[in-house]
Amino acid sequence: MIPFHTLSQRHLVYTYCVVWLLQFGYGAWLAVQWRRARR
Amino acid sequence: MNDANNRSRSGWGLLWLGLTLVALAVGFDKAMTAPTEATMGNLQRIFYYHLPHVILSFVFPYLNLGASLLYLWWRGSNRSRALAADAFALASAEVTVLYATIGLATGMLWGRAAWGIWWTWDARLTTYLLLWLLYVSYLLLRQFSSTGQTAVISAVLAIFAAVDIPICYMSIRWWRTQHPAPVFGGGADSGIDPGMLPAVWWNMAAWAMWGAFVLGLRYALERRRQRQSADDAMGYLGSAQVLSEAR
Repeated sequence: MIPFHTLSQRHLVYTYCVVWLLQFGYGAWLAVQWRRARR
Repeated sequence: MNDANNRSRSGWGLLWLGLTLVALAVGFDKAMTAPTEATMGNLQRIFYYHLPHVILSFVFPYLNLGASLLYLWWRGSNRSRALAADAFALASAEVTVLYATIGLATGMLWGRAAWGIWWTWDARLTTYLLLWLLYVSYLLLRQFSSTGQTAVISAVLAIFAAVDIPICYMSIRWWRTQHPAPVFGGGADSGIDPGMLPAVWWNMAAWAMWGAFVLGLRYALERRRQRQSADDAMGYLGSAQVLSEAR
């Protein structure tokens, strides 16, 4: 069970959003580029 | 043979990605369930994401430096190795910018909540912003330079950029800054509650594994683009030869 009450600070929630969006956004962009590049 | 090698590499890559996602999930759980810090409360949990990204943004530039030096070393003697080193230098610079951007953003969010300000021109923050700007400049140079010497110029820039890393790392030891003193290895008063250590180490390991994954993928992508450019150039030369023979 994830203790969601620890997300009581909005700056902590923003931090999670920034980290996950940038990291997985970059990962997804790389995957798309990888598929687009010809062998 | 090449197809078999590619499939094998893809298999290992997917296995690594799977392990990394598990480590990230465990790190997330540890960060959520670590003991609550007495002064800052839950806000201190930003630390479990801020610290790994900042530490790793000091590591990737050294990979960029090493690859750039190897490029300069090999460029006159071994073209194939030089191209591989150049691709690795580009990949590590891009991952450096990614991690430093997150280090800056999470630091500013934490500063806003803890100090009431988004930014201050103290030694750590200023040298870290400089580090970010240097590697953004490196990527802009690679993207927009149209000379035939782009790889050489960017390799030299990488050497100069790397000088900022030890200065930035040591800034909170050398100068009195708004940024807190080092949490680890910062003297008698440094250290954290042992109950918080699993959150620190799991996130450090998980983000290092993710960094290695995106670095490997970016490197492979750049190598694929290099081969594509070489094939296109050969195709162009072949067409030019056919045309000249036809005349």
